[in-house]
Amino acid sequence: MFEYILSILIFFPALAAILGLALNKDSIKAYGIVVSAIEFLLALMLWYAYDAGVTGMQFVESVAIVEAFGVHYLVGVDGISLFIIILAAFFTLIGIASLPEMKNIKNLIITLLFMQMTMVGVFAALDVILFYIFWELSLVPMLYIIGAWGGPRRVYASVKFFLYTFAGSMFLLVGILYMGYAYHDATGIWSFSLLDWYESATLPFNVQLWLFGAFFLGFAVKVPMFPFHTWLPYAHGEAPTIGSVILAAILLKMGTYAFVRFSLPLFPDASYYFMVPIAIISIIMIVYTAMVAYAQKDVKQVVAYSSISHMGVIILGTFALNVEGISGAVFLMIAHGVVSGALFLLVGVIYERRHTKLMSEFGGLATVMPYYATIFGVFMLASVGMPLTINFVGEFLCLLGFYEQSHTLTLLAGLAIIVGAIYMLAAFKKLFFGEVTNEKNRNLPDVTKTELVALLPLVVITIWLGVYPKPVLGPIDNSVKPLVQMMHDRAITPEAQAAIASPLVPKEAR
Amino acid sequence: MEIYLYIALFAPLVGSLIAGIFGASKKLLFTGIVTSSLLALSFFSSIVLLVHLLGGGDEIHVEMMTWIAAGELYIPFGFLVDEISATMMMVVTLVSTLVHIYSIGYMKHDAGFNRFFSYLSAFVFSMMVLVMSDNFAGLFIGWEGVGLCSWLLIGFWYKKDIATWSANEAFIMNRIADLGMLIGIFLIYWNTGSLQYDTVFAAAPSLDETILVLIALFLFIGAMGKSAQFPLHTWLADAMEGPTPVSALIHAATMVTAGVYLVVRAHPIYELTPDVSYFIACVGAFVAIFAASMALVNRDIKRIIAYSTLSQLGYMFVAAGLGAYWVALFHLMAHAFFKALLFLGAGNVMHAMRDELDPYKMGGLFKVMKYTAILMIIASVALAGIFPLAGFFSKDKILEVAFGSENYILWGVLWVSAGLTAFYSFRLIMLTFFSDSRYKKLGFDPHEAYPYMLWAMAPLALLAIIAGWFEHQFVEFVTQALPMFTFNVADVVWMLIVVTTLIALGGIALAIWTYRDGPLDPKWERNPIHKLLINEYYIPAAYERCISRPYRELSAFFWKEVDLKVVDYTVDLIASMVYGSGKKTHTMQNGNLSSMLGWVAAGAVLLLLAVIFSSGIQVAG
Repeated sequence: MFEYILSILIFFPALAAILGLALNKDSIKAYGIVVSAIEFLLALMLWYAYDAGVTGMQFVESVAIVEAFGVHYLVGVDGISLFIIILAAFFTLIGIASLPEMKNIKNLIITLLFMQMTMVGVFAALDVILFYIFWELSLVPMLYIIGAWGGPRRVYASVKFFLYTFAGSMFLLVGILYMGYAYHDATGIWSFSLLDWYESATLPFNVQLWLFGAFFLGFAVKVPMFPFHTWLPYAHGEAPTIGSVILAAILLKMGTYAFVRFSLPLFPDASYYFMVPIAIISIIMIVYTAMVAYAQKDVKQVVAYSSISHMGVIILGTFALNVEGISGAVFLMIAHGVVSGALFLLVGVIYERRHTKLMSEFGGLATVMPYYATIFGVFMLASVGMPLTINFVGEFLCLLGFYEQSHTLTLLAGLAIIVGAIYMLAAFKKLFFGEVTNEKNRNLPDVTKTELVALLPLVVITIWLGVYPKPVLGPIDNSVKPLVQMMHDRAITPEAQAAIASPLVPKEAR
Repeated sequence: MEIYLYIALFAPLVGSLIAGIFGASKKLLFTGIVTSSLLALSFFSSIVLLVHLLGGGDEIHVEMMTWIAAGELYIPFGFLVDEISATMMMVVTLVSTLVHIYSIGYMKHDAGFNRFFSYLSAFVFSMMVLVMSDNFAGLFIGWEGVGLCSWLLIGFWYKKDIATWSANEAFIMNRIADLGMLIGIFLIYWNTGSLQYDTVFAAAPSLDETILVLIALFLFIGAMGKSAQFPLHTWLADAMEGPTPVSALIHAATMVTAGVYLVVRAHPIYELTPDVSYFIACVGAFVAIFAASMALVNRDIKRIIAYSTLSQLGYMFVAAGLGAYWVALFHLMAHAFFKALLFLGAGNVMHAMRDELDPYKMGGLFKVMKYTAILMIIASVALAGIFPLAGFFSKDKILEVAFGSENYILWGVLWVSAGLTAFYSFRLIMLTFFSDSRYKKLGFDPHEAYPYMLWAMAPLALLAIIAGWFEHQFVEFVTQALPMFTFNVADVVWMLIVVTTLIALGGIALAIWTYRDGPLDPKWERNPIHKLLINEYYIPAAYERCISRPYRELSAFFWKEVDLKVVDYTVDLIASMVYGSGKKTHTMQNGNLSSMLGWVAAGAVLLLLAVIFSSGIQVAG
């Protein structure tokens, strides 16, 4: 019964989007909620049907698209992609449910549903060409969302977002084509199936370096990694709340997910070779963008830069090249999705009321909006990595994992827990503490029921998975173990073989 | 027995959640009573567990459920009640219960009454997690949890800018130390494969010496933050912005002793690293005298007591550093009683004086607040270490340890500090309660605190008097889990006691004589030493100038100059170059057949050349 669930998950929202064109704008929101709720239920069914005890891909479907070049419609999930798909469905649902009244809401909801197809598609695709198609398609709805519903500089921001990520993807495409060619060279048949590529012989070291570089450029812009990050503050600055939420919670994860799915297993030696430089970039992301976040005057920019800082921790965990680090990185993708998505929703709450995001306009909101302050406080604490919140689990594992590779670099990356607290506490103080000085804030209404519908589930998830991460961490860990084993087996240089320890051999035996 | 463990641990959490539900509502007396009752329940359960252990029962070790499992890492929610944690649990729940009851009166007129009790009980829960966990990760949960509650409670009056500033300072400074602790945890994991105390301590002797030293050092960095040791000490004095019951509970009796607890708990590691231990003892001795010196001149009763706390924590670290873990724990317990008492007394004074903290504006309060004065004098005598009160037994023991282990310099430092302690304690008493009633001119109308607040203080006063008498039983009990510390001072012990008591009495006498007529002449304040001390050795100012301000400025620089003008500008420059080159080269496709043919030919030549060269290289290669 679940054979086609992935295809349904991918195409149901797109189909619903097309049907939605026929509706009028009064009923579109209800329609959007129903469609995304069904999609979310389907995603939960996927989780239910997913067998955590089995390693390897599940729910695999394969249909030839271009037989002659081995391009297939090939989809499947494992523990690494499963939860990001559920997260995408979840955020689309609460994003639509919490949409305020706005112009052209019909177009917006249809765009969001279309966007959902591309998001699920990226994380489910196992054919690299198919992955690339979804990867690029996902740019279009976001371009439209920022460009049509954004702030005053929306056109600049959206074009910058589009061209920048698109330019990065060009290198990715060249890399993909070269990989396909190399596979053909080695085996005599064409295939773009990632599973086939996993099985093929590892490429020579110097070729790996070049291909790693090409893939890296594509992924790094998306993450975004320093110094390719400057499109993000503009995009967040101009995007409407819903755009920022989806961007931060899901779209950025495409980059980090792709590192785990492609770069690590395909180029294990290059991954090891570039480990230290990438760790240094991560540390710059962590510390430098945290400092930039501290200097911001606009609360949305604080959250935007904090995203980059947290993505640095994810990258670091990914390049720990051990199970602890990579599991932590994948978990932190989920965690950061939940927390940053929630923070953007929260920023949206006060923006709706005051149409400003400048922190100097606020102050003393804890008195006026106590529930809002409490919820914001929960996510602020999650963001600074308080134990028993979802973020801590991921951050702890990322840093713990990387510690095996380098003590000094981990010590520097660990500054995350200090610099993160500095900008977050400062922002919280500016918004919520002190006397109410601005008369306009005196009578602001506290969170409404609609807003609570979106926020409370996120609070529950943040604490639930912080206290009991096993339901998510377990399947992730089960899928990361074979991944690391594959890296270990595929590595050809002795240094990488030594550094990437097989998870099957217990630590004492090493 | 397990059920008592869970009750002791979770009763405060339940109380916190119940009070939290009404967090934003109007004051409900009910929340104060419920949280206090649940804490009493927790205290009762802790006593049951303590009695169980005292009666020779086995330690209780439970594993509730898995927390984090990834790769080979396995962290459960596991809890352990042995002699060390049972002692801590007893101290924590006892002081907490009394402080809760006291707070019902202290916070009576505060709009955030319910919220206060929610935070306070949440703190107790975190503290219980800290002392009861059976592994380093669980300890870290409690560690961060108490830090969070401390942040919430220091900044409790969030409308006051200084309060929220201090809260943030405390949080961030603790985070700096927490990074050290985290690194210590990573080191432990990658070298022993586990974070469980029993596994780690069993593996410790087989570890490389360098690794052990690093683990010991990094864990101690963590301890330095929570216990506010130099140079991470400035937050503690600023933390006095919180409500006074908070200062009594968190910033005197319990949370700040977490660092000492950590060193005591990890004693199998510190026993193997004598150099680090000695370093800890030296830091402790330095802080003991350093903090005491700042308390000599301060004009804020809460800050004086806060410096005193710092100084006493230094004493505990000396004991722990010299390997006398049970002595450290003994002083921790005794100190918790008399210091909480002292703070609660200060709370009564503040209430009476409408939050005035400057003792120069008080004087003669003994007449109106007799009970508070007596309680505070008891606490001060105990703190000064006068026979037969608790401080005499616990603090003298530390001096004996220092002397007996032939660390005469450490002993000397502590001896001088003991004199200073006695002096500043009675300076506070004299300025507040005796000499002329300066407050009258300033229009204050002080009154004694509610009876039940005084009654809540009474058990602490009793313990401050008698806790020391149980030294023998205490030693016997905790040395089941801790090593016995042997030193031989039998031949000089009476001399040591006399010498120490003399300096303590001397300090008291000097304070009484100096302040018999109220504050000193203001000309003293122009003295450079006075200036140095009142400005806390200019350390807070130096931190602001050398760390906070550069950090702010560098952040702004990174944003405005680097991110916008370099990184982003480069991106835009590349984009505009692409646009520009498009404009310049679009003449290629001008529709003129002959010129376009020319470009085709040129392109073909270029490609041919490229093919020839690349194949040539291949042949050559």
